[in-house]
Amino acid sequence: MSVSIQLEVNDESYQVDVEPGTTLVELLRERLHLTGTKEGCGEGDCGTCIVLVNGAPVNSCLMLAVDAQGCRVTTIEGLATDGKLHPLQQSFIENGAIQCGFCTPAMILSAKALLDHNPRPSEEEIKQALSGILCRCGSYQKIVEAVRAVSGRVDPLRGTPGQPD
Amino acid sequence: MKADALYVGKEIPRIDGLDKATGRAVYSVDVNLPGMLYGSVVRSPFPHAKILRIETSGALRIPGVRAVVTGKDFPFLFGALIQDQPFLAIDKVRYVGEPVVAVAAETELTAQEATDRIRVEYEGLAPVFDPQQASAEGAPLIHEHLEDYFHSDCQILPKTNICSLHAYSSGDMDLGWKESEEIFEDEFFIHAVAHSPMEPHAAVAQYGPSSEEFTLWSATDRPYRLAQDLVKALDISFDKVRFISTFSGGSFGGKGALVAEGLAVALARFTKGRPVKVVYSREEELTASQTRHGALVRLRTGVKKDGTLVARKANVLWDNGAYCGFGPNVARRGSRTVFGPYRIPHVELISHLVYTNKQPGGAYRGFGTTQMTWACEAQMDIMAEKLGLDPLEIRMRNAYVEGDLYINGQVLRSVGLKETLERASRAIGWGKSESRKSGTNVRGKGLATTIKGTSTPTDSACFIEVAPDGAITILSSSVKIGGGQKTVLAQIAAETIGVPLSSISVPNPDTRLTPFDFGVSSSRTTYHMGNAVRRAGEKIRERILEIAGEILATDPACLKLSEGKILKEGAGEQLSLKALLAKKFGSKGGTLLEAGYYTPEKSSLLEAPPDRKGMSSIFWMFATHAAEVEVDTETGRVNVLRIAAAHDVGRAINPVGCEQQIEGAVILGLSNTLFEEFKLEDGRVLNNTLADYKIASTLDIPKIIPILVESPHPEGPFNAKGIGEPAAAPTAPAIASAIFDAVGVRIKELPITPEKVLVALREKGQR
Repeated sequence: MSVSIQLEVNDESYQVDVEPGTTLVELLRERLHLTGTKEGCGEGDCGTCIVLVNGAPVNSCLMLAVDAQGCRVTTIEGLATDGKLHPLQQSFIENGAIQCGFCTPAMILSAKALLDHNPRPSEEEIKQALSGILCRCGSYQKIVEAVRAVSGRVDPLRGTPGQPD
Repeated sequence: MKADALYVGKEIPRIDGLDKATGRAVYSVDVNLPGMLYGSVVRSPFPHAKILRIETSGALRIPGVRAVVTGKDFPFLFGALIQDQPFLAIDKVRYVGEPVVAVAAETELTAQEATDRIRVEYEGLAPVFDPQQASAEGAPLIHEHLEDYFHSDCQILPKTNICSLHAYSSGDMDLGWKESEEIFEDEFFIHAVAHSPMEPHAAVAQYGPSSEEFTLWSATDRPYRLAQDLVKALDISFDKVRFISTFSGGSFGGKGALVAEGLAVALARFTKGRPVKVVYSREEELTASQTRHGALVRLRTGVKKDGTLVARKANVLWDNGAYCGFGPNVARRGSRTVFGPYRIPHVELISHLVYTNKQPGGAYRGFGTTQMTWACEAQMDIMAEKLGLDPLEIRMRNAYVEGDLYINGQVLRSVGLKETLERASRAIGWGKSESRKSGTNVRGKGLATTIKGTSTPTDSACFIEVAPDGAITILSSSVKIGGGQKTVLAQIAAETIGVPLSSISVPNPDTRLTPFDFGVSSSRTTYHMGNAVRRAGEKIRERILEIAGEILATDPACLKLSEGKILKEGAGEQLSLKALLAKKFGSKGGTLLEAGYYTPEKSSLLEAPPDRKGMSSIFWMFATHAAEVEVDTETGRVNVLRIAAAHDVGRAINPVGCEQQIEGAVILGLSNTLFEEFKLEDGRVLNNTLADYKIASTLDIPKIIPILVESPHPEGPFNAKGIGEPAAAPTAPAIASAIFDAVGVRIKELPITPEKVLVALREKGQR
């Protein structure tokens, strides 16, 4: 028995029928074809499936799609605006924070959520904010550097550049 | 080395960064084809059992099920060196998690429901988990007919569980012991760990019923090797197998064998042309893929009182798990590194690789070197302490230098070992006395070093094609597993040809279109594929200058190609490459295409006595890690404060890429050493989630100081060697060395858990 839900993903609205057991990551990847969100364990342990729901990082494998009714979801595909990369995307590329890239979307989105409410986090705060995402390539040191490089450039009143909200 | 290099040696952001930062990179788990079915697998609940009966009718009755396949339906064996592994168990199972029946269905859920309806009856057999017990006389045989398997490059012992025996000696052991002033005997253990890439194993396979061709979409790091494994297993010709590479979400050696691929192939054979996707769950990843081989190492080492090494006998017992994969190669090539990067006149090695009823071992970053470095370096510290030498001093005294002979007689070139020792130790303030104790925490420093060769000789080939507008494509089968391979190859091509980096693209491999490569393994891509790209690039540059000479009516020797512009000696820019090609091809189109092929087979650098030449490596990598730790004497907890990691890379084509490899490997090494261990009960992995099998997170990382040492290699592309594999090897012994320096306890068995440290501290207190 499917349920009809309405949600906003990357500033586009969707109305979809989902099964009650469908998770948000399944909806995003299989129905909306947004495969930038990765599923590394399906159990909420690895964090690679993190997306932003109403601006907050959420393990999309642990959230049912029906619970996203009326929510605003941001995935990695929605981060660049008008073809311009988000400063965090740019910084990850420039600072060598990407190896295999499988955890990169989750890392960037979690870092965005952090900077949006804490524009100048300490190194410890960055590490805490990203500690739920595992990276087996071990890019952590450069990821923290990439986030720091952006944090200095953020206007504390307006949030992360490129994101008017 | 060109002084005016534009791309080589530069910190160039990786060219696949944009795809990865925007979520556009397609990994194996993202492949989605029209008509695609989903696979699910029934796995063995027993470590060792006979299969009496398989009842599949319940599964076949479920609507949406398209194929149910057992080992009897697809009765083939695969294996890179010993063909011992069925795609699906035949007659018996040999580890908990072994695939027994596979199902393909319209949806993932239907496939899983169908597997739940399959009944398998087993009759238990005595299992054996410990390699010492497995190699003892009378142990239950895991493969009763070992001698019947097709095998190459390894010595099997029929009617035993020993699937590979390797012995080597050089010098005169009797003389060695006689000349030794002190003899040390120690035993070390290093445990199995999971590769656990963030992207689990996944593959899509499609079988063309009329073409009889298998096409695979997979993230393997060795597409040609896996194609070869399938060709051998199914006894089909090479043109019937095609691997299309996706981006890879991490391998660390674990994606170099048929894992999800084998199951997808077995299913696809029965789905009438519809593709089948198999994605491993995290539980399957942790329990039924591959592991690092565990190893027990016994060392007997003779030294002079001043620390000079004289003789070493090493006895290595490798825990192979249920099937071989690359095991025999790990056991042979890995074991030899037990002699470390040191001059030892008299050496003797005996290595046994032993089947056990556990998840199979496989290639793991370091390919055996990590295991041997643990033993070798731990004993170096023990000897240093007894002889009253500084750990740095004993290593400097014995370290290989340029021109030394390796244990097989090969003359060593490009040896930056001592510089790695000096610079890593200096970076953590070696020898400086600092405040060591605060409360229950005590600080200490330690170091360890390693040597690693590359599989030799192995081949790489590529094509470079120039489109009529000057866009350049490198067609190569070097897979992008996350090490920056694309970027390094593009840098080498841009530098060699004389074009902007932005004009070069490196598509993912497809074995039907991109030529042979041995694989992204053995730290070999920069050197081997880099050389192939350089050769093809040189031909392309010559061809372009030849055309420019014709069009400009000038001697090509007076022309130069730089950043895509044709320059004339003394006259500056004549025209762009794009304009040149427009003149050459006009509106009808055309192409410039050259091949580059590289094998070190004939290199004089490999020279050694004929019977030992097989041990020569075309390049040797050296590294030293120096660690500072803090040990809490109350809890036994070890906190690693900083690790300086100095690596001799020959020449860093891309220094950021090298730093990524070093930092990542230090974290992998630290995680393996302090956190990771399989908890087994009757052969079953109990910690089968990432909550229970802990790997390092951002909260666990020390300050890492990567140091690049450049001892130019005479035949490397722009003098480069490799970096990926040795990077994790010295981390564990460096940490153990620092723990001893801090609190005076010696851990000889990995992993280093707080419990072990506490027990050792208590034992020390009682002495």
